[in-house]
Amino acid sequence: MAEATSSSRNKIYALGVVGFLAILSILYYLAAPVYLYIVVYMWFGFLYGVLQQYGRFCFASAWRDLIMVKVPRMFVGIMIGLMTLSIISAWLFVQYPAFYHPSPIGPHELVGGLLFGLGMVFAGGCATGSLYKTGEGNMISLTVLLSLSFAQAIFVALPFFDTWMSKLSVTGPNSITDTTDPNYIANVFHWPKWTLVEKIFPLTEDQVNQGVHHSFWQNFVANSLLNTIVIAAILMIGVYIIVVRKNFLKRRKAAMTQSADGGEVKMGFGDEVAGFWSMISSSKRTTIAAVLLGIIAAIQVFTMSWMRDNYDFGHPPYAQGDPVEILNQTGNFGQVFALTNPNDPNSRPTANKDAAPTSWPAADPGDVTKGGRMFDPGYWYITTQEAMFAGWIMNGVLPQSITGDLKAPHVNEKVDPTTHEVVAPEPEQNGNRYFGNDNGLPKPWNSPALLLSFGLILGASFLALWNKEFKWKFPTRELFFYAVLGGTIMGIGSRIALGCNIGAFYTRAAFGSPGGWLFFIGMGAGAYISAKAVNYLANKKMAKQMEDMDFDIEL
Amino acid sequence: MKFNKKDDGSYELDVTGYVCPHPQLYTLKCMDKLNEGMVMEVLVDNPSSVESITQACSGKGYTILDTNHPKAGVTAMKIQK
Repeated sequence: MAEATSSSRNKIYALGVVGFLAILSILYYLAAPVYLYIVVYMWFGFLYGVLQQYGRFCFASAWRDLIMVKVPRMFVGIMIGLMTLSIISAWLFVQYPAFYHPSPIGPHELVGGLLFGLGMVFAGGCATGSLYKTGEGNMISLTVLLSLSFAQAIFVALPFFDTWMSKLSVTGPNSITDTTDPNYIANVFHWPKWTLVEKIFPLTEDQVNQGVHHSFWQNFVANSLLNTIVIAAILMIGVYIIVVRKNFLKRRKAAMTQSADGGEVKMGFGDEVAGFWSMISSSKRTTIAAVLLGIIAAIQVFTMSWMRDNYDFGHPPYAQGDPVEILNQTGNFGQVFALTNPNDPNSRPTANKDAAPTSWPAADPGDVTKGGRMFDPGYWYITTQEAMFAGWIMNGVLPQSITGDLKAPHVNEKVDPTTHEVVAPEPEQNGNRYFGNDNGLPKPWNSPALLLSFGLILGASFLALWNKEFKWKFPTRELFFYAVLGGTIMGIGSRIALGCNIGAFYTRAAFGSPGGWLFFIGMGAGAYISAKAVNYLANKKMAKQMEDMDFDIEL
Repeated sequence: MKFNKKDDGSYELDVTGYVCPHPQLYTLKCMDKLNEGMVMEVLVDNPSSVESITQACSGKGYTILDTNHPKAGVTAMKIQK
């Protein structure tokens, strides 16, 4: 009876979470219909949270559990999700060719991935994994999230950040001071930006001018097959051979020998296939969640792109002449929110002003970039919005002498024409390229991507409550130390790689950017190092606790 | 982390309060110490660790005799080596 009551109470709480989000959605809509865009982000976050909690879907365990406890379920799950998203994205690129702005490819991805991997094992979760675990009531994961957010915000606000980043990058072929160069923006960041389809099936200048885009099959062969499916399949086969095969064949042979009454049993290719399949199907919930996450991630791309078209977001008039303006208006993503003034239709920098919504109501100059945009990736993205959240708090709480002006566009940057090195601006002019120029620094409730993170936490809460898995868990001193250490290192890694396990690896690799794999390899190397450290500390802890115990087994 | 002997050949590991990777790590380390046929009950309140422990046991050839939930958010797994 008590059990049934407790179960009903949990389900009521779970429904309460959905009710809360529904009311929040209505309030957003009442504030302005255009805020549906934010609401949709939030509900996609909810779906990610539900699926991640169901599948126990955390990228940290992909490498860590493989290395530490020889469990491949998450590694395999990620590869399956990646392949799913990648296949659908070949079609998405036909529908919305500009939905993905390729990230720069360079060694920063390897270095960032290494740090991220190093941190995630200590932290006990990746960026998105820590969000869903926070939704399970795990305040250790919340500690990780806060550490990760503030570490990013502080790191990018440091005066040497830009100089550091320019050293990590690959120098582009042209002078970055030549603002008439059509590759100016790529060159500013030094890194080449392309997806594999652009390299394998290059379009002529005429085709580009005529608005010709790659076909489904071109996208599929280059981005999906070569950049994702082949690599993911090779990695899965490698994991099967190294981690699963020996034990599986041993057990299978023993079972077959028994059923053959001790007769000789030969193992063949069919047994290898059975072993590979057992690896994929061993954790049904992880594999199911992986496929559904890939599908939902694709539906999000479609939905956000459709809404942008519908609202006429994302069609900035590319300013001519002023390089800073060009930089502001193209940005890294489909940064779609115009800084609008409802009383001045000319303030809307959209291609079709009449079709544009009357305003993005709560936007003010502090929310957006100099070009009038707000961070809006348009697909599953995690850490950047959290860094902006921390930056927003820092900007509000700390004196400007400490933070610099995080909101100010980074227009004072100077570049040495001989060495191509970025010369750090004067402290009083310390505008921040990361926040002010590229992303703006929106109020948390105005930031679509942050609402995705928020929805993700509550989606996980919903399912955890429904299934009676929700439990408040607070950090001990030991776990607090691990959480802060891991979160901080992950945060620094995320900024160097310009994304976390989702933005720098999952979507990047799925959308045809080979650099995503650099991040993944880096993650593996980092995870290996910290797994060794955690293992060493665990052994010490066990030995200390058990030294005075009286067991009938050898310890 | 508390590892106790309950009975002859029967042990208990309490890793509630811990997050990944500690519950699965301690479970496997303690299972390593047991002799063939011995049983250990693990108490864990981290859902993702339950999934990893299940998979790790399957990989190692350990048998999970029973799984139940003594209270909300806590899983008790009885594992035989």
